Amino acid sequence: MWTKILEIDLTHKSFRILEEQELFHQAMGGTALATHLLERYADPTGDPLGPDNPVILAIGPFSNILPIATKTTALFKSPHTGELGESHAGGRLAMAIYNAGFGALVIRGASSDPVVLDIDENQVVFHSARALWGQSASATERILRARDWAQSGKKSILRIGPAGERLSTYACATVDTQRHFGRLGLGAVLGSKKVKALVIGGNKYQKISDKKRFKSLYDSIYEAVVSSGVMHKYHDLGTAGNILKLNQNLGLPTRNFNQPWFEGADKISGEAFGDRYLSQQIACAHCQCGCIHLATLREQFHEEHGFKTFQVSYDFELIYALGSNLSIDSPDDILRLLHKVEKEGWDAMSLGVTLAWATEAFLSGLLDTTQTNGIILHFGDADTYLKVLDQMARQTTDFYRDLEKGAAFCAARYGGRDFAITFGGNEGAGYMTGENTFTDWLMGPRHSHLDGAGYAIDLECLTSDFSLEEQVKKLVAETRFRMLLNSLVICLFARSVYLEEVILEGLNLLWRPCSSADLEIFNQETLQRKYAFKMKCGWQPNLIEVPEKLSRVITSTGKVDPESIKKRAALYWQEVGL
Amino acid sequence: MMKKHLTVIARDQCIGCLSCMFACSRTWHEALTTSKAALKIRSYIGSEGNFSIRVCKACEEPECVAACPTGALSQKKNGALQLDAEKCVSCKICVESCLIGGLAWDEEFAKPLPCFQCGACVRYCPNQVLAMTRMQPENAKEETDNVD
Repeated sequence: MWTKILEIDLTHKSFRILEEQELFHQAMGGTALATHLLERYADPTGDPLGPDNPVILAIGPFSNILPIATKTTALFKSPHTGELGESHAGGRLAMAIYNAGFGALVIRGASSDPVVLDIDENQVVFHSARALWGQSASATERILRARDWAQSGKKSILRIGPAGERLSTYACATVDTQRHFGRLGLGAVLGSKKVKALVIGGNKYQKISDKKRFKSLYDSIYEAVVSSGVMHKYHDLGTAGNILKLNQNLGLPTRNFNQPWFEGADKISGEAFGDRYLSQQIACAHCQCGCIHLATLREQFHEEHGFKTFQVSYDFELIYALGSNLSIDSPDDILRLLHKVEKEGWDAMSLGVTLAWATEAFLSGLLDTTQTNGIILHFGDADTYLKVLDQMARQTTDFYRDLEKGAAFCAARYGGRDFAITFGGNEGAGYMTGENTFTDWLMGPRHSHLDGAGYAIDLECLTSDFSLEEQVKKLVAETRFRMLLNSLVICLFARSVYLEEVILEGLNLLWRPCSSADLEIFNQETLQRKYAFKMKCGWQPNLIEVPEKLSRVITSTGKVDPESIKKRAALYWQEVGL
Repeated sequence: MMKKHLTVIARDQCIGCLSCMFACSRTWHEALTTSKAALKIRSYIGSEGNFSIRVCKACEEPECVAACPTGALSQKKNGALQLDAEKCVSCKICVESCLIGGLAWDEEFAKPLPCFQCGACVRYCPNQVLAMTRMQPENAKEETDNVD
């Protein structure tokens, strides 16, 4: 594996390449490595949008080498929550960082003017991006893809949209074809540094050291991906297939988490999208699954025969956030909203939950048309939501500027905290399954459904009997194991392919000799390091807050008891062991 | 029996995973990369999900072999190209002479990357985009259309 780190100083328009063999030997890659680097470079008490907040991008020992090790990890201090910011993205970025010969990138300081970072094996060129500033995330990619810059080989393009330039605290950063560092505001951090985009590529590679053993490992993973059926669902309907499953299990958030089923679920199901809108599936580099679902929407813009067609990617979380949670039951409308979100570069989940909060606030009288510039918000009205997005993009009023800072910020300013569906400052994902989910979002290192998959434990509880203590132990165990998966860095959709014995064989071949016991220590240390950073930022495990509304609604596993969640949180913290 | 050669049978089914390129580089160069592959998958700019796939067709009378000024590039009976690296002067005329872009270039060593018609890329294509086919002369037109 590569053991070099590219450190870029935006303030001085300089760079240096660090050889860090010992660090890679200890921290492997991905999230563990990036946590070490965050400790080294970040001031936990600093301003997330100040020049001292670093952006760390890290790949792992399997990246570019084994199937579906496709992700890149980004760590930073989040402008959205004020503590640990972590997000993962696919596309071709991991391959391109590998090809450039680096295990990680650290982007420090801030540029005075907009820049594009043009990175290859040996150099960083700082191009002026004044002409690109204000361009959509989609246009930026098209423009830069056509440039013939320094990179040889395949290149990857990471960029922000106008939302990142405006420092929306939940602005995402987009990679290649509609892959995203979606959560916790990486787009705003890059925007604060005036980094419009990063283009990277190269032609470095490693040789196979033990051909026979490598082929055996590679082929076993390849066959599991392609032929075993364990990944078929991700290719076929994709995660959108969960719309009906969650709806049937009373777990699909609807109208700002008012109820766990959506009467229009059939119309926006994965099946509905798959049958009528799916134009094709595509893949990240070196993923033979192909889970990126592209829908095609044809729209008439002239009354005679003037049509336009656009492609936009969709998945479960996007359909929940801009569909059921806003009571929109038309795939056309969801795709129109997503198209706008894609151009602006917002995190669709945080945006959807913030719009849902705004709608409920308007309906309950906390907001009126003086704040909304005359717009009357109500659930199910996609045309109005498109107008709201336009007002946000044009920053027409203070209220629309505030909407770009998320539901918790808005609730603190306008009221309605009890129905702002946020956990540790981050908006909730598409699962209304019960206390394991909410505990996961409250206590997980990045307040994400991807921390410990609490929803899966909730759904397991529908058919199996686990004590509360057992449930919490399972949740923390999963969170801990994901430290490893996210250090490798594999796509979590392949978690049933990358079982421990497969991982151990890969690590012994491609990293260093290690055992199951070594990995347990590694996972625990990585998890604790993350919490140590969070606490230095000011996060406290005993100061958690569940949105009050959630104690009044039904979930897959029944009503939620705030006291029970507090008990779970305390047990969770015991398991973390800090 | 007619020779078997690499054919793009379903370009529209390509998901852009590059698994074929990784397989080619691994098989012939023991290299963990796409950059040593004898075939090329590229995205068309501004057209998401639309992939260009360029493979060596093992032509009957290859332009690349004819164009090589030093005789470094030749063709075996099974259609596979072979390179005598010592004779190659890195002029790249072979690559430029292939109108369909079916001959790849090794940036590291400045040499062409001949396709050996081994089928490793076919073995690792998850979506049946590529195949080793037996080409009849009368099929030639149809298969040319498929190469894009």
